[in-house]
Amino acid sequence: MANRTIPRLLQTPAVVLLLFWMLVPLSMTLFFSFIRYVLNNLRRPEWTSPSIENWRGFGNYQYVWNQDSFWLAIQNSILIVTSILFLTVILGVAIAVLINRSFPGLGIVRVLLISPFFVMPAVNAVLWINMILDPVLGLQGIAVNGINEIIAGLRSAPVVGGFFSLWPEFEPISFRATQTSAYAVIMMVTWQWTPFAVLIFMTSLQSEDQQQKEAATLDGAGRWNQFRFLTLPHLGRPIAIVVMIQAIFHLSLYAEIEIVSRGNGNKNLPYYIGELVNNNIGAASATGIFAVILANIVAIFLLRMVGKTLME
Amino acid sequence: MGRIVLEKVTKKFGEVEVIPPLDLTIEDGEFAVFVGPSGCGKSTLLRLIAGLEEVTSGEVKIDDATVTEVPPSKRGLAMVFQSYALYPHMTVRKNIAFPLRMEKMPQSEIDAKVDMAAKSLNLTDYLDRKPGQLSGGQRQRVAIGRAIVRQPEAFLFDEPLSNLDAALRVGMRLEISELHQRLETTMIYVTHDQVEAMTMADKIVVLQAGVIEQVGSPLELYERPQNRFVAGFIGSPKMNLIEGEAAKKRGAQTMGMRPEHIAVSTEAGEFKGTVGVAEHLGSDTFLHVHIDGIEEHVTVRQRGNVNFKYGDTVYLTPEEANVHKFGADGLRID
Repeated sequence: MANRTIPRLLQTPAVVLLLFWMLVPLSMTLFFSFIRYVLNNLRRPEWTSPSIENWRGFGNYQYVWNQDSFWLAIQNSILIVTSILFLTVILGVAIAVLINRSFPGLGIVRVLLISPFFVMPAVNAVLWINMILDPVLGLQGIAVNGINEIIAGLRSAPVVGGFFSLWPEFEPISFRATQTSAYAVIMMVTWQWTPFAVLIFMTSLQSEDQQQKEAATLDGAGRWNQFRFLTLPHLGRPIAIVVMIQAIFHLSLYAEIEIVSRGNGNKNLPYYIGELVNNNIGAASATGIFAVILANIVAIFLLRMVGKTLME
Repeated sequence: MGRIVLEKVTKKFGEVEVIPPLDLTIEDGEFAVFVGPSGCGKSTLLRLIAGLEEVTSGEVKIDDATVTEVPPSKRGLAMVFQSYALYPHMTVRKNIAFPLRMEKMPQSEIDAKVDMAAKSLNLTDYLDRKPGQLSGGQRQRVAIGRAIVRQPEAFLFDEPLSNLDAALRVGMRLEISELHQRLETTMIYVTHDQVEAMTMADKIVVLQAGVIEQVGSPLELYERPQNRFVAGFIGSPKMNLIEGEAAKKRGAQTMGMRPEHIAVSTEAGEFKGTVGVAEHLGSDTFLHVHIDGIEEHVTVRQRGNVNFKYGDTVYLTPEEANVHKFGADGLRID
């Protein structure tokens, strides 16, 4: 066993660095979450510096737990993350299967498909909310206007006029409102992250055994059955990877929420923490700990689910 | 029933014609082996029969029904692939049941058939394992099991033994031969190994560059090869093919002699040479003899153990009745 000493010694700096890297922020957060710590308080200036004397126990946790907005933020986080995961995986598999054959212009199509992934999140959000989803100036507003004008024109048409006069005038949807801002975020992030899923599924599809498909053809399996019984199980692991990585990334969405609604719309957990940080560091830290627990639950739950349904 | 007929079948990949017009009949219940060097089109031919490749022109018939336009699944053929092509996410049971499940057969019937196939292939203990947990031979048996449950018109084997080690290969060869005796179903077997072809086939089809060089029973091919290529390809060790004076004297461009049809003497004979290597197999001894004026060495088979060693001078005389003669066009001269 003595010959293990040197390798362990050599590993030590890396291990210590990593521990330090992770443990310091985590333990600071834990510490702050158990004390009263605010940035600005004229009545109790002693709370403005982190000190063990301001010990509050689970008071911060209790405070956060009893806030309705905290539960709304959690609900919203889960809604946004699961919707994005669901959409990107389905779109990713569909697109990857679709372009997993040779056709003229394949190279260009692939580059175009990947390109949304290279847009910065903030830029992505600005483009979507202002140029596409804006109810007046965006593509949405223009399209709804156009449809309304066509219908208005058809009302006076001879035969079909009666039918179209029954149609209502369409209203463009405002995606900056409280309820709809989450949908806007889901749309723009799905657009941005579908390429990531496509990229991973595409490489996986290329390693699929063609002889298995030929065997299945001879065994009488049509295209759907080949997809269901061969391709989908083959994609099981990459789907798990995509789900896991995206779950981690999207639980911490911030830029899109900020740009879409500036806090007026549905918040998610990181945004909620961000608002608390403006003054109440203790409560923000407690929420942060809740977020860590939530992230772990989501990760475990999702991995189990994906693993079970696809790996048989 | 499983009589397979190919009529003027051709196949082009782009501009390259890999199979020029080709006619072939495989009778019902026959064990036909396609053999040839790699790239000779034998696998392509099998895939044309299976329907995995479309013929460029010509017709494929199974039991007198033209199936050229029929999709692979409707041709009633089962295929065993070189890589086994088992479905890695399914257990052995599900693998074997897959074609039946695709036919929407009732579950009780599927179970009965799978159990029967597993029993006949000694797979009963492995039914709940996944392919990844099986050895090469077992995987091959699963692939065969998946083929036999469908009770196809004919079995197609695409180099099924080339991924196995030598000992297993001999065993599986026997198992497949026995399976053929038991099922009496048409089998088409593709291999580049002429030993497999000789030992298993009722009918051997020798292919080169997409062209059928000769069709016949193993012994026909061995005893009367129709051209130089077949002569050199069939038989192990290879036939000695000699050009030059000795061949001209017999009125041929090339003369061929099997290693066992050459007499060795230490005193006198037609060719004088020196022993290069003597391989002692116990039952036989193969002498590789270098003869002046002949580029390749001549292989001679002697029964039992013969005491020759490197550098010995020997005289070789072919048995005249067993000399094969080939003309300038490579065809046999009788």
